[in-house]
Order: sequence, then structure tokens, then C-alpha cells
Amino acid sequence: MKSVSAIQRIPYPDDAPDAALLSRGLGWFSIALGVTELAAPRLLARAIGIDPRGVAPWILRAMGAREILAGLGVLMHPRRPAPLWGRVAGDAIDLALLGTAAASKRTSLPRLAGAIAAITGVTALDVVAGRRTQRAYNQANRPVISAVTINKPPEEVYAFFRKLSHLPLVMDYLVSVEEIDARRSHWVAKLPVGTIAWDAEITDDRPGKLIAWRSVERTPINTRGRVTFTRAPGRNMTEVRVELQLGFLGTEPSATLARLFTRAQVKGDLRRLKAVLETGEVLHSDASVHRGPHPAQPSTPDDIARLERSRMSVTASPPTAIKGVTPGANPPSGSRTAAGTTPPPVTPSTSPPTSPIGKGVRP
Amino acid sequence: MRANCWMGKQKLSVHHVPDPQILNARDAIVKVTATTICGSDLHLYNGFMPTMQKGDILGHEFMGEVVDLGKGVKNLKIGDRVVVPFCIACGNCEQCELGNFSCCENGNPTGWIPEKLMGHATCGAFGYSHLTGGFAGGQAEYVRVPFADFGPLKVPSTLSDEQVLFLSDIFPTGYMGAEMCEITPRKVVAVWGAGPVGQFAIASARMLGAERVIAIDRFPYRLKLAVDKAGATDVINYEDQPVQDTLREMTAGRGPDACIDCVGLEAHGHGLPYAHDRVEQKLKLQLDRPLAVREAIFACRSAGIVSILGVYAGLVDKFPLGPLMNRGLTIRTGQCHVHRYMKPLLERIERGEIDPSFVVSHHMNLDDTPRGYDMFMRKQDEVMKIVLLS
Repeated sequence: MKSVSAIQRIPYPDDAPDAALLSRGLGWFSIALGVTELAAPRLLARAIGIDPRGVAPWILRAMGAREILAGLGVLMHPRRPAPLWGRVAGDAIDLALLGTAAASKRTSLPRLAGAIAAITGVTALDVVAGRRTQRAYNQANRPVISAVTINKPPEEVYAFFRKLSHLPLVMDYLVSVEEIDARRSHWVAKLPVGTIAWDAEITDDRPGKLIAWRSVERTPINTRGRVTFTRAPGRNMTEVRVELQLGFLGTEPSATLARLFTRAQVKGDLRRLKAVLETGEVLHSDASVHRGPHPAQPSTPDDIARLERSRMSVTASPPTAIKGVTPGANPPSGSRTAAGTTPPPVTPSTSPPTSPIGKGVRP
Repeated sequence: MRANCWMGKQKLSVHHVPDPQILNARDAIVKVTATTICGSDLHLYNGFMPTMQKGDILGHEFMGEVVDLGKGVKNLKIGDRVVVPFCIACGNCEQCELGNFSCCENGNPTGWIPEKLMGHATCGAFGYSHLTGGFAGGQAEYVRVPFADFGPLKVPSTLSDEQVLFLSDIFPTGYMGAEMCEITPRKVVAVWGAGPVGQFAIASARMLGAERVIAIDRFPYRLKLAVDKAGATDVINYEDQPVQDTLREMTAGRGPDACIDCVGLEAHGHGLPYAHDRVEQKLKLQLDRPLAVREAIFACRSAGIVSILGVYAGLVDKFPLGPLMNRGLTIRTGQCHVHRYMKPLLERIERGEIDPSFVVSHHMNLDDTPRGYDMFMRKQDEVMKIVLLS
């Protein structure tokens, strides 16, 4: 992983305007072709050597509608790779259909060959544009998947995070994390596809600043990631940013895949991290203790037992005392803590940690 | 226990549901001694708030007796008599430290829903849809109160339930609306809506020293209460008088220095603008009918303050941004930061500066809650505030 700051990135690389120009050209081409297919399918069918009777005009009309949508997509977001990859997929459909047409006796093969050659050429251009745009897009986009601000100093947030066995408290898909030595750790996660385990190693570790890691064993899912802890401007709070790359079945990990599959999860993880560090534990509501939709009604004793079990399974993993975390004792100067209330003493507690009491912020 | 559940648009029923239990270390269970129906509950009742689910227990203004405590709550004892703020705030995040309790960053477990609809998460609240956490509400026999070591306020036994109950929402809300107007004796304040929140906004504006407070509503009995009890100096019944002209006449052309909207998304009115808003709301082209806030912006004196207390849900149409910008108006708004005001307002009640029970018009049993909502919605029997007792 490049060691570029998480915040400062060059917005657009130099070759981006070129990529956008080609994309726009392809977008307009897409619309022109689409309109022709929609408006004059029979004429077009004859031109490419296909029998204009039967279903061919209807297929051409459908393809025309698809072309117009693809073209609009490209024109609306000429710097995004996704619409261009959409066009490449469309080209593949076109080529497949033309290939099928070759089997028909009523087809004029020379004309059809011309059409296939033309589409192949356009496909090549689409791929070129797609790759260029993708490269520019990858460079221009920040690698951060999600970020949160936590009202604790960076050293404290780092210390919590660095104790990897704490992570299942906030990452609800993790069953356990065991630290093998200073760098290596063993992770067990329960995913929709089943329980998987992998080893990870810390590749960079700067106390109070950042932790970077990667998965080491060949697992179905391999990751690289980095979490940075930055002091918030003018306050003794921490800005936590998570960068993540994800690869499946041994492919090179990519930020795009990570963004696609993990963003919602990481966001939730950070929200829970904030809650645990600031308030001592993750708050539940009557609805949120359930996986799916549930009315805001108290849970049955069974539901509560299930919640307790899931907490037990997390807290059963090795050290339970959260060191360096003093929920509720708010350090920043200038806080509105009323005079006369002292933060409660930090007692090593079984987790979930006991919460703060009567902070008396009420003016 | 029995609880008032939302079963669909204008459908409520009192059901037997499981008793609440401690889910977090900082929880308390409160046995409700008095609760009430809020004007904003009507938005839920009438189906204007998104993300309601069949079976949701309503109610966010309640008080009672502590009957159970999580192991993290040290400042309360079993048996304490407490009033509970409607918003659920942790007391630890930066917003709480700054005193913006209704913007608490840890109080909403379903915060990702408002994040999508509103840009950022809102705080948690009792019985107010799944935008605010999906917490069971207070129109029940028992309620689980999260962050009980921070929110609930112990109240002295010398004061009756009705005197302190409204500290949970409408009194601080009305007070905040007036406070946002930066009131000085020379200021003229106009208040749209003389419902319970409006009454407290009027009373608070007077308490803060406004010499002239104009109440605007369409129900004579509400305007009468505003004058008799809350201390309004002038009234406008918009069914009989044109609001803009009358305000201009009353203030000799200046317009009120500050305007408070205590109406919200179900505003009434007449003429084409009202018809337009009704149609758009019906078609779900907008969630709100912003009549009152529009009127307030037009009426407000240049460089004045428009304070919005009425609840709005989404994006509104025909918002007078031009008048707002060109005349240098300031908009102040927010869900009330209840925790900020509970103690000082309790002191005012203890000193006898105000007796909030003046808004109470009816008492009902919890079992009659659905009838209470219907009555409150239709403004029958000169209803102002219904106190529910279990």
C-alpha cells in the first residue's frame, strides 16, 4: 500500500482530460447508434446483412434502447469507469447476437462480417477508454472507506485498536482475534458464506498515528488495510480513517471491491468503535437488537438471552479489561463539565466496561 | 404491560406487550406515572413520518418512578421520581459536551436511516419512528430509559406530576424557541400556533421580557388561553383576519422582530397555497406543508429572527429563500436540547414563576389513548393537553 497521506491526494492526474474526451465521443456514438436502431431497425438490418423480417427489428430496437441508456450513462459520468464497462458488456452482447445471426441462411455474410469488424473496433476503443478512466479514477479517489471522529485523544483510540482482541467488540462479524506475536494475529470471522479464519500481519505500526495490516495466508478473501488516527483540528479528539483493499480467491486486493462490499460494514464498525470508546458500550434500542425490521416494542426474554449470548461469545475471548479506556472521563480542555464533578476512577472492569456516571454536563 | 401501539395510519390500539428489560449497563426502567400526547405524535398518527412500523409504541413525554437500574447507573436509586427528556443523549460525545444534546452522536442505533434521508444522523428519541432509533415510547406502563445516568431529572415531591411532566419536551421546547429569538424588552414576537408548545413559547417569551407577544391560531379557545394564562398581548385568528396585513398594522409596518413557528408539517390555511401543499403532500411530492414557516418568513421584520420549533420531515416546495436572503433573516431551529433546560426551568417552576400545568385540559386512562389521539387531532371539546394515567 502506498504511504500517501490519507487526506492529501492529487484530485486529477494529467491524462484525465484525454480519457474524458474519448468517453464523451463513445457516449455520443452510443446515442447515435441507439437512435438509429430504434428509429430505423429494418434499414439497419439490411445494411448489416440481416433479414429485416421476423424478430430482428425488435431485437435491434431493444438494443437501441440499451445503447441510449449506456450512452447517457457515459455522458453523465464521463470520468467514471462503471458506465464504460457497461458499454463493454453491451458490445459483448452485440457481438454474440451478430454471431448467432451468422448461422441463419438468409444472412448476407460479407455485410455481417463488416458489422462484426466495426463492433470489434468499437469494443477495443471502449476497453481503452475504460482502462484509462479506471486508472484515473483509482488515482483520484481517496482510498478511505469510511471515517469517524471520536471524542478521545489519538493515543487512547490507538491503544484500544492496537489491542486487536478488542476488535470483536465493535466488529460484529468477528468471532475472535488472537495475537500470536507482536506482528502476527489469527482472525476468525462469521460471514454469510460461513466461518472463515486467516492470519494477518501488521506491516506498519506507529503508536498514536496508524496501523497497517495485510492478510498473509491464502484465504478465499484477502485484505490489506490501514487505519489512521489524526488529532481533530483544534480539539483533543481523534479522526479515524479506514482504508481497505479487498481481493477474492487470490486476486490482487482492490479498493473498489472493498468499497463495494465492505463500506456499510466498516461504517457500522466505526460507529460502534465510537460508542464503545465514548460511552462504554454499544447502545441498543428495542428495534436494533433484532437483525431485521422489528417494531419498537420491548424484546421477549428469548431475544434478550440471545443478545447476552452474542455478547458472551465476544467477551469470552482473552483479555477483557479495556486498558486505557476511561469511558465518560472527558479530557478535552474547555469541556463544559460542571465544577465539582470529578470523573469516576478508572476501574479495570469486565467488559462491556462499566459506564460513566453523572457527568453533570447539564449547565 | 399495556402500551399504546401504532398499527397504521390513524390506527392505534392498547396492547399487552413484554415488559421492558435492561439492555445496556446505563439503562433504567421507569414505571410511568404520567405521560401525554404531543402535537408531534399527531404527525405519526396521521402517517406523515416515514419509517414507522406496525406495533411501534408511541409517546416521548413521560415521567415516573425508577424501578430497575443497570449496573452502570450510580446517580439514581430505585424509587426515585424522575422526568425523562424525550431525546436520548449520551453526555460523552462532542455535541453533548457543547450542549447540543439533541444532536448527540451516540443516541441513535438506527442512525444510518436519517443519515440517508437527512445527511447526518439525528439523536435517538422515545417512540418516534425508526429514524430516531426505534425505541419503545412512553405511552405505556413501563419504559426502558437508556443513558439513565445522564438524562432523567429527579424532581422534588413538593411539585405535582402535572407541574413537572412537561419538562420532558414541550416546556423546554417552547422556551428554546423563545430563547433563540434573543428577546429584549423592545422586541415584538409573533407565535404561529397556540397549541401546547405555542403556549410555552408565548409564556417563555414573556418570561424573557418581551413586551409584546402576538399569538396566531384559528381556535378561539386556544387564543383565549394564550391571553389568559400564557400572557399573549395580542391575538390573530387567521380564519377571520389576514395575517400579514394584521401583523403589519400591529407593528406599524415593521413586522415582528422575531417569529416562532410552533406549527410544523400539518399546517392549515386557506386559498391556493394551502391547496397546493395539501395536494403535494397527498401525492408524496413533499412530506411537509410548510405554510406557517413561509408565512413567518414573509412577516418577519428585516434582519429579524425566524425560530422554527414545528417538526418537519423532508424537503419542502416553494420555500421563500429569496425573501430570507435579501432581507437578512436568521433562521434558528432544532429539536430541543432538553437536557440543557430541564434544571433551570425546574428552578423557575419551584420559584413559582410559571406553573406549566395550565395547559392540561383532560385526563384519561392509558386504555383510552386512541380516543385521546382522535380527540386531539379533531380539536374536540376544547382539548389542549391530555394527560394519560395508567
